[in-house]
Amino acid sequence: MHLIFKVTFATMEVIITLIKKDFLVDFRQKYLLAGIALYVFATIYISYLAFNSVIAPAIWNALFWLILLFSSVTGMFKSFGQEANRTYYYYYLASANHILAAKLVYYLLYEFLLVILLGALFITFLGNPVEQPVLFLLNLLLGAIGLAVSFTLIASIASKSDNGNTLMSILAFPVIIPVLLLAVTNSRKIIFGASFQDISGNLLTLVCFNVIIIALSFILFPYSWKN
Amino acid sequence: MKYLLNSKSWKWVSIGLLTYTVIGGFFLPVPRLPILNETIRILHFHVPMWFGMIIMFAISFVYAVKYLSTKELKYDLYAKEMVSVGIMFGMLGIFSGMVWANFTWGEPWSNDPKQNASAIALLMYFALLILRGSLNDDHQKARITSVYNIFAFAILIPLLFVLPRMTDSLHPGNGGNPGFNAYDLDSNLRIVFYPAVLGWTLLGLWIATLKIKLSMLQMILDDK
Repeated sequence: MHLIFKVTFATMEVIITLIKKDFLVDFRQKYLLAGIALYVFATIYISYLAFNSVIAPAIWNALFWLILLFSSVTGMFKSFGQEANRTYYYYYLASANHILAAKLVYYLLYEFLLVILLGALFITFLGNPVEQPVLFLLNLLLGAIGLAVSFTLIASIASKSDNGNTLMSILAFPVIIPVLLLAVTNSRKIIFGASFQDISGNLLTLVCFNVIIIALSFILFPYSWKN
Repeated sequence: MKYLLNSKSWKWVSIGLLTYTVIGGFFLPVPRLPILNETIRILHFHVPMWFGMIIMFAISFVYAVKYLSTKELKYDLYAKEMVSVGIMFGMLGIFSGMVWANFTWGEPWSNDPKQNASAIALLMYFALLILRGSLNDDHQKARITSVYNIFAFAILIPLLFVLPRMTDSLHPGNGGNPGFNAYDLDSNLRIVFYPAVLGWTLLGLWIATLKIKLSMLQMILDDK
Protein backbone atom coordinates (compact mmCIF):
# COMPACT_ATOMS: atom_id res chain seq x y z
CA MET A 1 0.00 0.00 0.00
CA HIS A 2 2.79 2.32 0.98
CA LEU A 3 4.55 1.54 -2.27
CA ILE A 4 1.47 2.32 -4.37
CA PHE A 5 1.19 5.71 -2.67
CA LYS A 6 4.84 6.34 -3.32
CA VAL A 7 4.52 5.44 -7.02
CA THR A 8 1.39 7.56 -7.49
CA PHE A 9 3.09 10.43 -5.74
CA ALA A 10 6.14 10.16 -7.99
CA THR A 11 3.87 10.11 -11.07
CA MET A 12 2.03 13.18 -9.88
CA GLU A 13 5.32 14.92 -9.28
CA VAL A 14 6.49 14.22 -12.83
CA ILE A 15 3.21 15.44 -14.30
CA ILE A 16 3.19 18.60 -12.21
CA THR A 17 6.79 19.34 -13.16
CA LEU A 18 5.88 18.94 -16.86
CA ILE A 19 2.89 21.26 -16.49
CA LYS A 20 5.07 23.81 -14.70
CA LYS A 21 7.58 23.57 -17.53
CA ASP A 22 4.84 24.28 -20.10
CA PHE A 23 3.74 27.36 -18.19
CA LEU A 24 7.31 28.54 -17.83
CA VAL A 25 7.99 28.14 -21.54
CA ASP A 26 4.86 30.08 -22.41
CA PHE A 27 5.59 32.73 -19.83
CA ARG A 28 9.01 33.29 -21.35
CA GLN A 29 7.61 33.59 -24.86
CA LYS A 30 4.88 36.05 -24.02
CA TYR A 31 4.28 36.97 -27.64
CA LEU A 32 2.60 33.59 -28.24
CA LEU A 33 -0.07 34.08 -25.60
CA ALA A 34 -0.43 37.75 -26.42
CA GLY A 35 -0.84 36.74 -30.06
CA ILE A 36 -3.75 34.44 -29.25
CA ALA A 37 -5.41 37.09 -27.08
CA LEU A 38 -5.03 39.63 -29.84
CA TYR A 39 -6.40 37.13 -32.38
CA VAL A 40 -9.50 36.59 -30.25
CA PHE A 41 -9.96 40.30 -29.66
CA ALA A 42 -9.53 41.21 -33.31
CA THR A 43 -11.99 38.54 -34.50
CA ILE A 44 -14.65 39.60 -32.03
CA TYR A 45 -14.12 43.27 -32.77
CA ILE A 46 -14.45 42.64 -36.50
CA SER A 47 -17.68 40.69 -35.88
CA TYR A 48 -18.92 43.59 -33.74
CA LEU A 49 -18.27 46.05 -36.53
CA ALA A 50 -19.58 43.74 -39.26
CA PHE A 51 -22.83 42.95 -37.45
CA ASN A 52 -23.18 46.59 -36.47
CA SER A 53 -23.80 45.51 -32.85
CA VAL A 54 -27.27 44.08 -33.64
CA ILE A 55 -27.05 40.29 -33.46
CA ALA A 56 -29.69 37.55 -33.24
CA PRO A 57 -29.28 34.94 -30.44
CA ALA A 58 -28.87 32.04 -32.89
CA ILE A 59 -26.08 33.88 -34.72
CA TRP A 60 -24.48 34.93 -31.41
CA ASN A 61 -24.30 31.25 -30.51
CA ALA A 62 -22.86 30.12 -33.85
CA LEU A 63 -20.30 32.93 -33.82
CA PHE A 64 -19.25 32.14 -30.26
CA TRP A 65 -18.48 28.51 -31.06
CA LEU A 66 -16.83 29.32 -34.37
CA ILE A 67 -14.44 31.82 -32.80
CA LEU A 68 -13.75 29.42 -29.92
CA LEU A 69 -12.97 26.67 -32.44
CA PHE A 70 -10.61 28.76 -34.54
CA SER A 71 -8.78 30.33 -31.62
CA SER A 72 -8.34 26.88 -30.00
CA VAL A 73 -6.87 25.42 -33.18
CA THR A 74 -4.53 28.37 -33.57
CA GLY A 75 -3.37 28.13 -29.97
CA MET A 76 -3.15 24.37 -29.56
CA PHE A 77 -0.60 23.68 -32.21
CA LYS A 78 2.20 25.74 -30.76
CA SER A 79 2.87 23.60 -27.72
CA PHE A 80 3.69 20.35 -29.51
CA GLY A 81 5.35 22.28 -32.31
CA GLN A 82 7.96 23.58 -29.89
CA GLU A 83 8.52 20.15 -28.33
CA ALA A 84 10.07 18.64 -31.47
CA ASN A 85 13.67 19.42 -30.51
CA ARG A 86 13.31 18.12 -26.98
CA THR A 87 11.70 14.76 -27.81
CA TYR A 88 14.81 12.65 -27.25
CA TYR A 89 15.56 14.37 -23.97
CA TYR A 90 12.11 13.47 -22.65
CA TYR A 91 12.65 9.77 -23.32
CA TYR A 92 15.00 9.70 -20.33
CA LEU A 93 12.78 11.67 -18.02
CA ALA A 94 9.15 10.68 -18.39
CA SER A 95 6.92 8.07 -20.02
CA ALA A 96 4.60 8.98 -22.87
CA ASN A 97 1.57 8.77 -20.57
CA HIS A 98 3.08 11.31 -18.17
CA ILE A 99 3.68 13.69 -21.02
CA LEU A 100 0.16 13.21 -22.36
CA ALA A 101 -1.40 13.71 -18.93
CA ALA A 102 0.57 16.91 -18.44
CA LYS A 103 -0.38 18.17 -21.89
CA LEU A 104 -4.06 17.36 -21.33
CA VAL A 105 -4.14 19.30 -18.06
CA TYR A 106 -2.21 22.16 -19.58
CA TYR A 107 -4.46 22.36 -22.63
CA LEU A 108 -7.56 22.19 -20.47
CA LEU A 109 -6.38 25.14 -18.36
CA TYR A 110 -5.46 26.95 -21.53
CA GLU A 111 -8.88 26.25 -23.08
CA PHE A 112 -10.65 27.49 -19.94
CA LEU A 113 -8.65 30.72 -20.03
CA LEU A 114 -9.62 31.11 -23.66
CA VAL A 115 -13.30 30.53 -22.83
CA ILE A 116 -13.18 33.16 -20.05
CA LEU A 117 -11.51 35.70 -22.33
CA LEU A 118 -13.89 34.94 -25.18
CA GLY A 119 -16.97 35.10 -22.93
CA ALA A 120 -15.94 38.42 -21.41
CA LEU A 121 -15.28 39.98 -24.81
CA PHE A 122 -18.51 38.58 -26.26
CA ILE A 123 -20.62 39.97 -23.44
CA THR A 124 -18.88 43.34 -23.69
CA PHE A 125 -19.23 43.78 -27.42
CA LEU A 126 -22.04 41.56 -28.67
CA GLY A 127 -24.41 41.45 -25.69
CA ASN A 128 -25.53 38.48 -23.62
CA PRO A 129 -28.58 36.52 -24.84
CA VAL A 130 -28.02 33.71 -22.27
CA GLU A 131 -30.75 33.52 -19.66
CA GLN A 132 -29.61 30.32 -17.92
CA PRO A 133 -25.92 30.93 -17.24
CA VAL A 134 -25.41 27.77 -15.16
CA LEU A 135 -26.71 25.41 -17.82
CA PHE A 136 -24.89 27.34 -20.54
CA LEU A 137 -21.62 27.16 -18.62
CA LEU A 138 -22.02 23.44 -17.94
CA ASN A 139 -22.46 22.75 -21.65
CA LEU A 140 -19.63 25.15 -22.48
CA LEU A 141 -17.38 23.33 -20.01
CA LEU A 142 -18.09 19.93 -21.57
CA GLY A 143 -17.64 21.33 -25.09
CA ALA A 144 -14.37 23.01 -24.13
CA ILE A 145 -13.08 19.75 -22.60
CA GLY A 146 -13.98 17.97 -25.85
CA LEU A 147 -12.13 20.56 -27.92
CA ALA A 148 -9.05 20.48 -25.71
CA VAL A 149 -8.68 16.70 -25.52
CA SER A 150 -9.31 16.07 -29.23
CA PHE A 151 -6.85 18.77 -30.23
CA THR A 152 -4.16 17.38 -27.93
CA LEU A 153 -3.83 14.10 -29.84
CA ILE A 154 -4.28 15.79 -33.22
CA ALA A 155 -1.61 18.36 -32.36
CA SER A 156 0.82 15.59 -31.48
CA ILE A 157 0.09 13.94 -34.84
CA ALA A 158 0.30 17.17 -36.83
CA SER A 159 3.57 18.24 -35.19
CA LYS A 160 5.33 15.29 -36.86
CA SER A 161 4.87 16.88 -40.26
CA ASP A 162 6.76 19.80 -41.73
CA ASN A 163 3.68 21.86 -42.50
CA GLY A 164 1.99 21.13 -39.19
CA ASN A 165 -0.06 24.30 -38.97
CA THR A 166 -2.07 23.64 -42.12
CA LEU A 167 -2.35 19.97 -41.32
CA MET A 168 -3.63 20.76 -37.84
CA SER A 169 -6.81 22.38 -39.16
CA ILE A 170 -7.34 19.73 -41.86
CA LEU A 171 -7.03 16.89 -39.34
CA ALA A 172 -8.82 18.55 -36.45
CA PHE A 173 -11.97 19.95 -38.05
CA PRO A 174 -13.62 16.71 -39.22
CA VAL A 175 -12.71 14.96 -35.97
CA ILE A 176 -14.09 17.74 -33.79
CA ILE A 177 -17.41 18.04 -35.64
CA PRO A 178 -19.31 15.46 -33.53
CA VAL A 179 -18.34 17.23 -30.29
CA LEU A 180 -19.04 20.61 -31.80
CA LEU A 181 -22.37 19.52 -33.25
CA LEU A 182 -23.60 18.32 -29.85
CA ALA A 183 -22.28 21.35 -27.98
CA VAL A 184 -23.58 23.93 -30.47
CA THR A 185 -27.02 22.33 -30.64
CA ASN A 186 -27.23 22.22 -26.84
CA SER A 187 -26.09 25.78 -26.52
CA ARG A 188 -28.64 26.98 -29.09
CA LYS A 189 -31.38 25.11 -27.27
CA ILE A 190 -30.30 26.66 -23.96
CA ILE A 191 -30.36 30.15 -25.43
CA PHE A 192 -33.89 29.48 -26.67
CA GLY A 193 -34.91 28.47 -23.16
CA ALA A 194 -34.53 24.67 -22.94
CA SER A 195 -34.47 23.07 -19.49
CA PHE A 196 -31.97 20.51 -18.18
CA GLN A 197 -34.31 17.62 -19.09
CA ASP A 198 -34.44 18.74 -22.73
CA ILE A 199 -30.71 18.49 -23.25
CA SER A 200 -29.65 15.85 -20.71
CA GLY A 201 -29.44 13.16 -23.43
CA ASN A 202 -27.13 15.27 -25.56
CA LEU A 203 -25.04 16.25 -22.55
CA LEU A 204 -24.57 12.61 -21.62
CA THR A 205 -23.49 11.80 -25.18
CA LEU A 206 -21.01 14.65 -24.98
CA VAL A 207 -19.57 13.26 -21.74
CA CYS A 208 -19.26 9.79 -23.32
CA PHE A 209 -17.52 11.31 -26.33
CA ASN A 210 -15.01 13.07 -24.11
CA VAL A 211 -14.30 9.87 -22.21
CA ILE A 212 -13.81 7.90 -25.45
CA ILE A 213 -11.41 10.53 -26.80
CA ILE A 214 -9.39 10.68 -23.58
CA ALA A 215 -9.13 6.87 -23.45
CA LEU A 216 -8.08 6.73 -27.11
CA SER A 217 -5.49 9.44 -26.55
CA PHE A 218 -3.84 7.41 -23.80
CA ILE A 219 -3.81 4.31 -26.01
CA LEU A 220 -2.56 6.04 -29.15
CA PHE A 221 -0.26 8.77 -27.87
CA PRO A 222 2.71 6.48 -27.09
CA TYR A 223 2.74 5.44 -30.77
CA SER A 224 2.56 8.92 -32.18
CA TRP A 225 5.09 10.25 -29.69
CA LYS A 226 8.05 7.92 -30.10
CA ASN A 227 10.12 8.25 -33.23
CA MET B 1 -5.86 -11.13 -46.63
CA LYS B 2 -3.41 -13.81 -47.77
CA TYR B 3 -6.35 -15.87 -48.98
CA LEU B 4 -7.88 -12.89 -50.76
CA LEU B 5 -4.61 -12.04 -52.47
CA ASN B 6 -3.90 -15.56 -53.67
CA SER B 7 -7.20 -17.15 -54.59
CA LYS B 8 -9.62 -16.53 -57.41
CA SER B 9 -12.80 -18.39 -56.54
CA TRP B 10 -14.39 -15.59 -54.50
CA LYS B 11 -14.09 -13.26 -57.48
CA TRP B 12 -16.49 -15.50 -59.38
CA VAL B 13 -18.88 -15.24 -56.43
CA SER B 14 -18.67 -11.46 -56.68
CA ILE B 15 -19.32 -11.53 -60.45
CA GLY B 16 -22.26 -13.89 -59.98
CA LEU B 17 -23.83 -11.90 -57.16
CA LEU B 18 -23.46 -8.59 -58.98
CA THR B 19 -24.91 -9.99 -62.21
CA TYR B 20 -27.84 -11.24 -60.15
CA THR B 21 -28.07 -7.83 -58.40
CA VAL B 22 -28.19 -5.90 -61.65
CA ILE B 23 -30.71 -8.22 -63.30
CA GLY B 24 -32.78 -8.83 -60.17
CA GLY B 25 -32.49 -5.25 -59.00
CA PHE B 26 -33.93 -3.89 -62.21
CA PHE B 27 -36.48 -6.56 -63.12
CA LEU B 28 -37.84 -8.28 -60.00
CA PRO B 29 -41.09 -6.84 -58.59
CA VAL B 30 -40.79 -4.12 -55.92
CA PRO B 31 -43.40 -2.66 -53.57
CA ARG B 32 -45.31 0.31 -54.98
CA LEU B 33 -44.94 3.27 -52.65
CA PRO B 34 -45.98 6.87 -53.24
CA ILE B 35 -43.16 9.24 -54.31
CA LEU B 36 -40.58 6.41 -54.23
CA ASN B 37 -42.18 4.35 -57.04
CA GLU B 38 -39.48 2.58 -59.06
CA THR B 39 -36.68 4.61 -57.47
CA ILE B 40 -36.83 2.24 -54.52
CA ARG B 41 -34.54 0.05 -56.61
CA ILE B 42 -31.70 2.35 -55.57
CA LEU B 43 -31.68 0.33 -52.35
CA HIS B 44 -29.60 -2.31 -54.16
CA PHE B 45 -27.00 0.19 -55.36
CA HIS B 46 -26.88 3.11 -52.92
CA VAL B 47 -27.14 1.34 -49.56
CA PRO B 48 -24.51 -1.36 -50.31
CA MET B 49 -22.04 1.47 -51.00
CA TRP B 50 -22.29 2.46 -47.33
CA PHE B 51 -21.99 -1.13 -46.17
CA GLY B 52 -18.95 -1.43 -48.42
CA MET B 53 -17.45 1.79 -47.11
CA ILE B 54 -17.84 0.83 -43.47
CA ILE B 55 -16.49 -2.68 -44.05
CA MET B 56 -13.46 -1.28 -45.91
CA PHE B 57 -12.79 1.24 -43.15
CA ALA B 58 -13.20 -1.49 -40.53
CA ILE B 59 -10.67 -3.73 -42.30
CA SER B 60 -8.34 -0.76 -42.62
CA PHE B 61 -8.74 -0.13 -38.88
CA VAL B 62 -7.81 -3.74 -38.12
CA TYR B 63 -4.67 -3.46 -40.24
CA ALA B 64 -3.76 -0.13 -38.64
CA VAL B 65 -3.88 -1.86 -35.23
CA LYS B 66 -1.88 -4.76 -36.67
CA TYR B 67 0.73 -2.37 -38.03
CA LEU B 68 1.18 -0.68 -34.67
CA SER B 69 1.63 -4.02 -32.93
CA THR B 70 3.96 -5.64 -35.51
CA LYS B 71 5.55 -2.68 -37.37
CA GLU B 72 5.37 -4.54 -40.67
CA LEU B 73 4.98 -2.15 -43.57
CA LYS B 74 2.75 -4.47 -45.58
CA TYR B 75 -0.05 -4.02 -43.03
CA ASP B 76 0.17 -0.29 -43.49
CA LEU B 77 -0.10 -0.83 -47.23
CA TYR B 78 -3.26 -2.91 -46.74
CA ALA B 79 -4.73 -0.23 -44.47
CA LYS B 80 -3.99 2.51 -46.97
CA GLU B 81 -5.51 0.73 -49.98
CA MET B 82 -8.57 -0.24 -47.97
CA VAL B 83 -9.08 3.42 -47.06
CA SER B 84 -8.87 4.53 -50.68
CA VAL B 85 -11.41 1.90 -51.77
CA GLY B 86 -13.60 2.91 -48.82
CA ILE B 87 -13.45 6.53 -49.94
CA MET B 88 -14.43 5.48 -53.46
CA PHE B 89 -17.46 3.66 -52.07
CA GLY B 90 -18.34 6.68 -49.94
CA MET B 91 -18.18 9.05 -52.90
CA LEU B 92 -20.36 6.72 -54.99
CA GLY B 93 -22.78 6.47 -52.06
CA ILE B 94 -23.01 10.24 -51.67
CA PHE B 95 -23.42 10.94 -55.38
CA SER B 96 -25.94 8.16 -56.00
CA GLY B 97 -27.84 9.40 -52.95
CA MET B 98 -27.80 12.98 -54.19
CA VAL B 99 -29.12 12.02 -57.61
CA TRP B 100 -31.89 10.00 -55.96
CA ALA B 101 -32.70 12.67 -53.38
CA ASN B 102 -33.04 15.23 -56.13
CA PHE B 103 -36.04 13.30 -57.45
CA THR B 104 -37.61 12.12 -54.19
CA TRP B 105 -36.75 14.66 -51.50
CA GLY B 106 -36.81 17.55 -53.98
CA GLU B 107 -33.21 18.66 -53.57
CA PRO B 108 -29.81 16.95 -53.69
CA TRP B 109 -28.75 18.09 -50.20
CA SER B 110 -31.36 18.56 -47.49
CA ASN B 111 -29.26 18.99 -44.33
CA ASP B 112 -30.17 15.47 -43.30
CA PRO B 113 -28.10 14.23 -40.33
CA LYS B 114 -26.98 11.11 -42.19
CA GLN B 115 -25.94 13.11 -45.23
CA ASN B 116 -23.93 15.42 -43.02
CA ALA B 117 -22.40 12.56 -41.06
CA SER B 118 -21.27 10.76 -44.20
CA ALA B 119 -19.78 13.94 -45.65
CA ILE B 120 -17.84 14.47 -42.40
CA ALA B 121 -16.70 10.83 -42.46
CA LEU B 122 -15.29 11.33 -45.95
CA LEU B 123 -13.57 14.55 -44.88
CA MET B 124 -11.82 12.63 -42.08
CA TYR B 125 -10.48 10.02 -44.46
CA PHE B 126 -9.46 12.61 -47.06
CA ALA B 127 -7.50 14.27 -44.27
CA LEU B 128 -5.85 10.89 -43.63
CA LEU B 129 -4.66 10.72 -47.23
CA ILE B 130 -3.32 14.28 -47.01
CA LEU B 131 -1.53 13.39 -43.76
CA ARG B 132 0.08 10.43 -45.53
CA GLY B 133 1.25 12.65 -48.33
CA SER B 134 2.82 15.17 -46.01
CA LEU B 135 5.15 12.71 -44.24
CA ASN B 136 8.31 11.42 -45.86
CA ASP B 137 9.84 8.62 -43.84
CA ASP B 138 8.06 5.31 -44.59
CA HIS B 139 7.87 4.04 -41.03
CA GLN B 140 6.90 7.38 -39.57
CA LYS B 141 4.25 7.77 -42.26
CA ALA B 142 2.86 4.33 -41.45
CA ARG B 143 2.88 4.91 -37.70
CA ILE B 144 1.29 8.35 -37.72
CA THR B 145 -1.36 7.40 -40.28
CA SER B 146 -2.22 4.28 -38.31
CA VAL B 147 -2.74 6.39 -35.20
CA TYR B 148 -4.98 8.81 -37.07
CA ASN B 149 -6.77 5.91 -38.78
CA ILE B 150 -7.68 4.33 -35.43
CA PHE B 151 -8.76 7.69 -34.04
CA ALA B 152 -10.88 8.44 -37.13
CA PHE B 153 -12.58 5.05 -37.03
CA ALA B 154 -13.41 5.48 -33.35
CA ILE B 155 -15.06 8.81 -34.19
CA LEU B 156 -16.73 7.37 -37.30
CA ILE B 157 -18.79 4.78 -35.43
CA PRO B 158 -20.66 7.18 -33.12
CA LEU B 159 -20.86 9.68 -35.97
CA LEU B 160 -22.67 7.28 -38.31
CA PHE B 161 -24.55 5.09 -35.86
CA VAL B 162 -25.29 7.14 -32.75
CA LEU B 163 -25.64 10.83 -33.58
CA PRO B 164 -28.06 10.54 -36.57
CA ARG B 165 -30.34 8.41 -34.42
CA MET B 166 -30.72 11.18 -31.88
CA THR B 167 -32.48 13.50 -34.31
CA ASP B 168 -35.14 13.09 -36.96
CA SER B 169 -33.92 12.16 -40.38
CA LEU B 170 -35.32 11.63 -43.84
CA HIS B 171 -33.48 8.33 -43.95
CA PRO B 172 -35.22 5.21 -42.67
CA GLY B 173 -34.10 3.93 -39.29
CA ASN B 174 -33.94 7.31 -37.52
CA GLY B 175 -35.91 9.27 -34.98
CA GLY B 176 -36.46 6.14 -32.92
CA ASN B 177 -37.22 3.68 -35.74
CA PRO B 178 -35.43 0.38 -35.32
CA GLY B 179 -33.07 -0.08 -38.29
CA PHE B 180 -34.56 -0.68 -41.67
CA ASN B 181 -37.72 -2.41 -40.56
CA ALA B 182 -40.00 0.53 -41.22
CA TYR B 183 -40.58 -0.26 -44.86
CA ASP B 184 -37.47 -1.74 -46.38
CA LEU B 185 -37.78 -5.32 -45.26
CA ASP B 186 -40.23 -6.24 -47.93
CA SER B 187 -39.26 -9.81 -48.85
CA ASN B 188 -39.06 -8.94 -52.56
CA LEU B 189 -36.40 -6.35 -51.79
CA ARG B 190 -34.65 -8.56 -49.31
CA ILE B 191 -33.87 -11.34 -51.77
CA VAL B 192 -31.87 -8.91 -53.87
CA PHE B 193 -30.58 -6.56 -51.19
CA TYR B 194 -28.53 -8.99 -49.10
CA PRO B 195 -26.77 -10.60 -52.09
CA ALA B 196 -26.15 -7.05 -53.38
CA VAL B 197 -24.38 -6.05 -50.17
CA LEU B 198 -22.16 -9.12 -50.31
CA GLY B 199 -21.50 -8.69 -54.03
CA TRP B 200 -20.49 -5.03 -53.82
CA THR B 201 -18.31 -5.67 -50.77
CA LEU B 202 -16.49 -8.50 -52.56
CA LEU B 203 -16.01 -6.21 -55.56
CA GLY B 204 -14.46 -3.62 -53.25
CA LEU B 205 -12.09 -6.24 -51.81
CA TRP B 206 -11.21 -7.26 -55.35
CA ILE B 207 -10.29 -3.67 -56.28
CA ALA B 208 -8.33 -3.36 -53.05
CA THR B 209 -6.34 -6.55 -53.68
CA LEU B 210 -5.43 -5.30 -57.17
CA LYS B 211 -4.28 -1.99 -55.73
CA ILE B 212 -2.29 -3.74 -53.00
CA LYS B 213 -0.55 -5.97 -55.56
CA LEU B 214 0.27 -2.92 -57.68
CA SER B 215 1.73 -1.03 -54.71
CA MET B 216 3.77 -4.08 -53.69
CA LEU B 217 5.25 -4.31 -57.19
CA GLN B 218 5.97 -0.61 -57.06
CA MET B 219 7.77 -1.08 -53.74
CA ILE B 220 9.90 -3.89 -55.19
CA LEU B 221 10.74 -1.74 -58.24
CA ASP B 222 11.66 1.22 -56.01
CA ASP B 223 14.02 -0.93 -53.97
CA LYS B 224 15.94 -2.07 -57.07
